[in-house]
Amino acid sequence: MSIKALRLRITPPGGVPFEHECAAASLVLGRERAADISISDPYLSRQHARLFQDGDDWFLESLTTKNTTLLNGRPIRGRERVAHGDEAQLGSTRVRFQQKGEPTPAPIVLPAATTVFRSASAVLEQAGTLPLDVGGDALRRLTERLKLVNEVHRAVAGRIAPDDLLQLLLDRVFDHLSPEDAAVFLKDKDGELRPAMSRRPPGVKGEPFFSRSLALEVAGKGMAALVQDAIVDSRFASSESIVMSGVRSIVAAPLLDTEGSLGMIVLSSHAHVRRFSEEDLELLVSLSSAVTLRIRTIALAEEALQHRLLEKDIDRARDIQMSMLPTVFPARAEFALSAALRPARSVGGDLYDFLEGPDGVWFFLGDVSGKGFPAALLMAVTRTLFRASAPDETSPSALLGRMNRELSRDNERAMFVTGFAGRLDLATGEVAFSNAGHNRPYVIGQDGAVRSVGEAAGMVMGVDGDFEYPVGVVALAPGDTLYLYTDGVTEALDAASRQYGEARLEARLRELAQAPVGTVVQETLHAVQEFAGSTPQSDDIAVMAVRYLGLTK
Amino acid sequence: MEMTDETRDGVVIVAPTGRLDVNTSAELEKRLLDKVAAGETRFVVDLTAVEYISSAGLRVLLLLAKQLKARSGRLVLSSLGPAVRQVFELAGLLPVFAVEASREQAMGRLASGP
Repeated sequence: MSIKALRLRITPPGGVPFEHECAAASLVLGRERAADISISDPYLSRQHARLFQDGDDWFLESLTTKNTTLLNGRPIRGRERVAHGDEAQLGSTRVRFQQKGEPTPAPIVLPAATTVFRSASAVLEQAGTLPLDVGGDALRRLTERLKLVNEVHRAVAGRIAPDDLLQLLLDRVFDHLSPEDAAVFLKDKDGELRPAMSRRPPGVKGEPFFSRSLALEVAGKGMAALVQDAIVDSRFASSESIVMSGVRSIVAAPLLDTEGSLGMIVLSSHAHVRRFSEEDLELLVSLSSAVTLRIRTIALAEEALQHRLLEKDIDRARDIQMSMLPTVFPARAEFALSAALRPARSVGGDLYDFLEGPDGVWFFLGDVSGKGFPAALLMAVTRTLFRASAPDETSPSALLGRMNRELSRDNERAMFVTGFAGRLDLATGEVAFSNAGHNRPYVIGQDGAVRSVGEAAGMVMGVDGDFEYPVGVVALAPGDTLYLYTDGVTEALDAASRQYGEARLEARLRELAQAPVGTVVQETLHAVQEFAGSTPQSDDIAVMAVRYLGLTK
Repeated sequence: MEMTDETRDGVVIVAPTGRLDVNTSAELEKRLLDKVAAGETRFVVDLTAVEYISSAGLRVLLLLAKQLKARSGRLVLSSLGPAVRQVFELAGLLPVFAVEASREQAMGRLASGP
């Protein structure tokens, strides 16, 4: 019977048995890592025994002079033929020779002794300490490594896309470290690791090696991993993936920089084909770290560029938004009007507008909930609604009602607009108005008396499309001014987080009772600015002053 | 902004504290909408400890009410201080919300059905 196919069942002292399929014609068992089968057993010599094939037979020979190699209980002499069912004892390790396909009594679990996790930064610090007594093979390997490091560093210094850089890393370590399987895994936007690229020797098929527990340590915690034999240490206790894929040697490094981990690179081989060393680990960690740093700087540069573009967009949006608001005010004998807006961010949600007719003037001042782009968009809509509706309407109630109906339609985000709309009758000085949840305006008498207009309070626009707005009327005597503002004025904060408040505004308005309306607008804005000092403006500010001058006929 | 929340008798009770303005209401919005997305339909928002509410804060509460209405759910506000109540009044929004004087009364209102 041919026993070409030989399967070993190896039971290390105190360890869990594992199996090895003999694929090579000769293999060395011993304590050292470089042995074909490396076993954690202090009673083993570094190279303890050799198994080799001669014709159809397998032979065991001891490589140590100590009498610690037994076959079926007897010390071995020279080379001895082994048969299925034989059992050898090497040091404290039992080795049973069995036929391929022979049922295995227990699940294969492998010893733990040689999994090494170290923080990648510690590996980096240690790397580069050269042994002094290099010569021959070691010197050649060192030269190869230096060439490789040099090549990757040249690529990193040049203009290269992140994907190309990762591919270069993968290709170079694949060529230099000769794994059976090399793969780069990158975190997606949800932090899940996804295979990004992989390499295998020609003719070798299958998915790249992946283990969730390895990923957790390496990509998750930034550890570098060197795994010899297929390993069950506590971290891998529940991971069947490693055991299932057979006895493996694995080296893995995080794609790590000071900002965190982008993913990991994993090289693996069957242990009898290729065993990775500390030296391999150091090389992989060092190259990965250089490449990651470069990828991060590319990403940062890209982000900075996007940011600059966005800022330009915002500037343009601000120009467009401000150009929607009139800045030239009518110079008429019957009335004077002025207004101003100061956005908190570069685009904002406050607005004002007016529309002159032959015997009256419509005016509107409003505030969209929220800030920034969403508010600015709704502000533009609101302003268009005012412009489109005011010429047809005769009552402020109908005007706000129409704007409200439109704003309430399909309002999924529950944004709303507060606003005050009025129409000054140039013949009588009467202002008919409706208020959609907006701050009460002030009437400033020519004599300096200031009173707030609390009548006709209605609901903000955008919530209930059927709301009917009440109408109020205030009669302005020639020289009286109606002053409208948004809450950015009264809620402006100073360095001590005090609000500007209505009392300060009212006091300032009393002083400005006889100043031109342009001055009333600019001076009240100025007073708020002075109060806030260096405290950043947290809300948009808009104000408007409308003064009745009387009929001149 | 500090915020506490608990779920009692199938009712989510959220109590924000401090200023509910444009800077803090985004967090409240996320907290509330996450719970709606998780299937919660009955909410009490206790405003006892809110010293100031801006239009951004009002919007979050309107949004919650709107989403709950679409799911046959219910929102009751409780314990509005004078400053907060004034903002609701000014915006004309008091009639839009179910409002109770205390958290217990708000719970009672949810327990007794619509």
